[in-house]
Parts: sequence; C-alpha cells; structure tokens
Amino acid sequence: MAAEAGALPAGARRLHPWSWLFVLLAQLKSFALPLVALLLFGSRGDDFWQWELWGGLAGGLLALASVLQYFTYRYGVAGGELVIRSGLLQRNTRSIPLARIRNVSLHRTLLHRLFGVAEVRLESAGGSGAEAQMRVLSLAAAADLERLLQQRGAAEEADASAAGETLLALDSAEVVRLGLISNRGMVVVAAGFGAVSQLAPGDAGDWIEAFAAWLFGRAGSLDLGLLAMAAALALLLLVAVLALRLLSVALALLQFHGFTLRRVNGALAVECGLLTRVRAHAPLGKVQLWTVTETLLHRLFRRQSVDVETAVSGAGERQQQSLRALHHLVPVAAPEAVSRLLGELVPQARFPELDWQPLHPRAWRRMAFWPLLGTLLLALLLALAGTAWALLPLALLPVWAWRARGLARRAGFALDAHVVAWRSGWLDRRVSFAEVAKLQGVRLLASPFDRRRGMASVVVDTAGAGAFGHRIHMRFLPEAVARRVAAELAARIARSPLAW
Amino acid sequence: MTAFDPDASFHPLPGAALTAMRIGVVALALGLGLALALLLFLVAVLRGELSATTWLLVAGGYTLLLLVAGWAWAGAQWRRTGWRLDADGLAIRRGVFWRSETLVPRSRVQHVDLGHGPLDRRLGLAGLTVHTAGTRLAAVRLSGLEQATAEALRDALVDEGEAGGSRRAAPVAGAGHGG
Repeated sequence: MAAEAGALPAGARRLHPWSWLFVLLAQLKSFALPLVALLLFGSRGDDFWQWELWGGLAGGLLALASVLQYFTYRYGVAGGELVIRSGLLQRNTRSIPLARIRNVSLHRTLLHRLFGVAEVRLESAGGSGAEAQMRVLSLAAAADLERLLQQRGAAEEADASAAGETLLALDSAEVVRLGLISNRGMVVVAAGFGAVSQLAPGDAGDWIEAFAAWLFGRAGSLDLGLLAMAAALALLLLVAVLALRLLSVALALLQFHGFTLRRVNGALAVECGLLTRVRAHAPLGKVQLWTVTETLLHRLFRRQSVDVETAVSGAGERQQQSLRALHHLVPVAAPEAVSRLLGELVPQARFPELDWQPLHPRAWRRMAFWPLLGTLLLALLLALAGTAWALLPLALLPVWAWRARGLARRAGFALDAHVVAWRSGWLDRRVSFAEVAKLQGVRLLASPFDRRRGMASVVVDTAGAGAFGHRIHMRFLPEAVARRVAAELAARIARSPLAW
Repeated sequence: MTAFDPDASFHPLPGAALTAMRIGVVALALGLGLALALLLFLVAVLRGELSATTWLLVAGGYTLLLLVAGWAWAGAQWRRTGWRLDADGLAIRRGVFWRSETLVPRSRVQHVDLGHGPLDRRLGLAGLTVHTAGTRLAAVRLSGLEQATAEALRDALVDEGEAGGSRRAAPVAGAGHGG
C-alpha cells in the first residue's frame, strides 16, 4: 500500500493543458441561468454598466480559478490507490482504492472531440456521485487510466477473456431502423409541448387554437366537401406521422451513432453518440433485470431490443447518466442476435427457451373486464345523451375479447434453477427475467376480484429498478401456483447470499 | 411449512395495537364528520337553506356511519395483520380487501429501524421498518408491535443478516399465538 497517506506518487500527472477551458465552461454553465436572467431583467435599469462590471469581474475570477486548478491538480497511481491532490491554499488529497472503482465513464461533447480530450468520471459501487471527476484528460491519458483500472478489475474478477470482445455493433442502416421503431420523436414533441405550456401558461393553447383556426380558415375558404376535408385531414395526419418518424430517426442517430457493445474483463462497455460520445462501463454482475422488448414495429422490422436495470444505490446524477447509456444494452438487433447475445451474457437464463407456465384458465376474462365495462359505460352515456353514436363503442366489444384472449395466451411465467421470468403484452410484447440470487424480496397479492376467482399475483423486487418499465409482476396466477412460486422463491433467496 | 402456505401460522399484533388503530380511525372519522358539518353550516345553514335539526341529523349520521365503518375496518385490519419469522426471513401479512403477504429474506436485510409515535409510546408499542436494497420493498414497515417483540425481531434480523443468511430460526420473546 501507499507509504504515506496522501503522498503523491512519483510520476504524478497533470490534467490536459486545455483543461482550464473546460473547467471554465462548466462553471459558466452553472452561472448561465442567473446570467440570462440578469440580461433579461437587469438591462432595463440605468445602472446596467454596473452589472457589466460585476459580471466581467466574476468572469475574470472564474477564469483565474480555472487556470489555477490546472496548475494545482495532480493525480497518480501507487500501491493500488489512485491519489488526487488539488487546491492551492487548502490542499485536498483524495486516495481512492482502485478496487473500489467500479465504473469508468468517458464523456465527450463536440468540443471535447475538437480538442481531442475527454472528461473522465470514476464511480464507486455504492457511494453517491462520482468518486472523482477529471476535467479533462487527453485521450491517451484517459486510455492509460482506463487500462490500469480494467487490469485491476480483471485481477479481481478473474475473467479469462483478456481483450475486449465486441458483442454488438450497429451500422447506420440499423440505427435508422431503430429510429423508425422507437417513439423518441413523440416523446420529444410531448416534452416540448409540456415545456411550452409550462413557460407560457395559456399561450400554448392559444397558439394551437390559432394554428387550427388558420388551417380551417383556409380549408373553409377553399370550400371543400366533406370527403375532401377528410382526405386533407388524413394527409395532414400522414405528414405529422412522417415528420415524427424523421425526428425519431434523427434523434436515434444523435444518440446511437456508431453504437458498440463490448465485453472487457467481465464488464460491459457501451460506446455511442454522434456529437456527444458517451462511453460507459459496468460489471456484468451489476445487471439486475433484463427486459427483451418486441413491439409491433419491432416485428415489422424483425427486430428486438434489450434493456437492463443496473444496481447503484443512491447514485448521483452523473452516475445515472452513464448508467442510462448502459440501460439500452441492445438498442436494436435481430431476434437471433438477441438470443445469441443473451446466451453469452446470461447463459443460465437459457433465453428464449424458458419453460413458460400459463396463467389461470380464466385470466382472459379478468383482462377483458375493465375495457368491456368502460366501453359499455361510454355507450350508455352516449345513449343517455340520445345520439345514435352510442352503437359505435359496441363495435369495440369483440376487439376487447380478442385482445384479452391474446394477452392471456401470450402471458406467462417461468421459474427454473437460476432465473424467474415474466412475459406479457399482446401486440407489444415484453419478457423480463432476473436471477433468483439477485432478488430482494417477494410479495403475494390478492385483490377482492382475485380472491373471487381463486387467483393471486406474485411480485418480486430487484435493486435499481426504475419507476417505469416492465417488472416481474406475475398476475392472474392460480392461487395455489402463486403460493408455490412465492414459497420457492422465498426459500431460494434466503439461501443465496446477497450478490450485487 | 413456509410463510406462503395457505395455513401458515402468523403471530397476531398485541391488543394495544387494536386500541391504537381504533384511536386512529375514530380521530379520522370525527375529523371528517366535523369537516362536513362545518362545510354544510357555511354553505347551507347560514343561508337558511337547511334547518339546524336537519343539519345536525345529516352531519351526525355521516359521522356515526364513518365511526361504525372505521371501527369494523380497524378490527378486521387488526385480525388480518400478522408477522412470522422463520428460516426464510420475516413475513408480514396484511390487508382486509386487498391482501398482501410480503417476505423479506434474512439475507437481504440491510438495516432495521424502530420508530415510536407519541401514541405508540403511551401504549408501549413500536414500529419496525426493515430496509432492503430493493425498490418496491426498499422499506417494509410493520407498526403496532410490542416494544420487546420489535426489539427481538430487530436483533434477530440484523444478526442473521450479518451472519450471511444462516438457517437458524431465532427465538423471539414476547411472541403471541399462531393466527
């Protein structure tokens, strides 16, 4: 170990000479909002020159601090520890045992790439936030550091495969396909609407109204028939859909251009991004939940995607960012490729040849109940209003029955020696599985409706699960089966030591 | 026999827990009744649209209904709530209409908290919160335990958790009879 706590090892290195620029930019970024507010609201007074003076002074001080940081920041590795010393008057020395560093992520925006540098974040398993953030290192220095930490990781996890092995690489055609499949455009548009209505309450509605009025005013002046009107509306819809898809493709290219998934010494490494290159690592063992998604659009393109949940308790915002890069482990791939990949990464799951067990034979009735009730209520309301349109919702009834049948037939659970799995969905299908040894708890649920039909649900809990997404919530099982599954899971979790 | 067996025995909560639950629902019912009475008084009685007798009858009837329903519900809730510590871990059963049985495995217990509200202290009760690294079951709470039982459960869960999930079922003091 290090001879003396806090001693900087010989051959300690500095950050990249341009680092002061990035430090300054980062600091300015955090001042951006007050600065904009100042310009917007402060400029009206007569004493604007005063603000300018203060602003200039603050900027100068920040620049000085940034340059000083470059001259005072040193780092080096000695005796299994990474030592970082910083500060001019108040000298801080931080020693991080290499074994504690579980995640190295490289962040590169367009500016970073112009200068050939990267921001490096070192993250530990449990702590909140980054252990260290190096702003910025040259690519060579970053690679050196990464190699050092990976060697250390290899020694720990004793993985045979030494060099990084590329598991998946997406070419541009595949990323375009991903954009066509995904709903990113819609999400952004929705978020945009949300933001606009937040910033200008009432105005957003006015704009939309004005736009609609303009549109229909035009249509009215053209004096179209009902059919032509419908055609115009359909065309408009088509254009909107196409525009959304194009936006989705653009966003997918932005986020996933040049996507590669590699396995390096038992860790997963993802690298992607067109302008901002994101590179993230996490040990394979940290993955808690695997979800394979196959929506209608996925099937149209004969593709699937895999999302994973990784466990980091109390992760800081930065850390979340790099984990988010790992979340889309396989953004898009052919079903065979997905099966092969999962076979390599989690051979114990034996995906997709899981031993699927059916739900309660009457599960489809429960699945049809609420849609049927809702539709009937709607029809009743319309009938009370006295319109003939009341008959229209009734046409949906067979659709709901058909859907419920499909849902019930497709859903199922599997429990074998290593994993527990749940699949659900009709047109958009999802399969989630987790290793039994990584579960945190089991819950058996029975609603009054469940009890009347002799059914129950089993929920298993994993670490690091987000608020949204497909969970292992096994619904509509026969009660006896649910109890047996819950009991077996409970006994096996209790016997396996905590590993994550 | 595991906790998920249909006829597994669970320890009931002490009688003091029923008292605490009843005090809770009575306070809630009285509060809601008072709120309705006040609202009706301001909206209808002051404007002369409702006579004082009708007002008293409506507000009183509503409060009484809440009291009866709450009293019955508290009894059912108390009867349905139970805990069980076995080789697998701590199992908690609860719920009158929507029923749940939760098992926190011994090997997954991160830490355990004991909490006492003002009413708990007077009645000699304690609330046990078991924390895991999970998400939905990150904090599993069971209130209305006797102080000694809660302490024994805490010690059993923490010791066992540290021992790496050994199979010994710890004896628990202050345990009631099987439900």
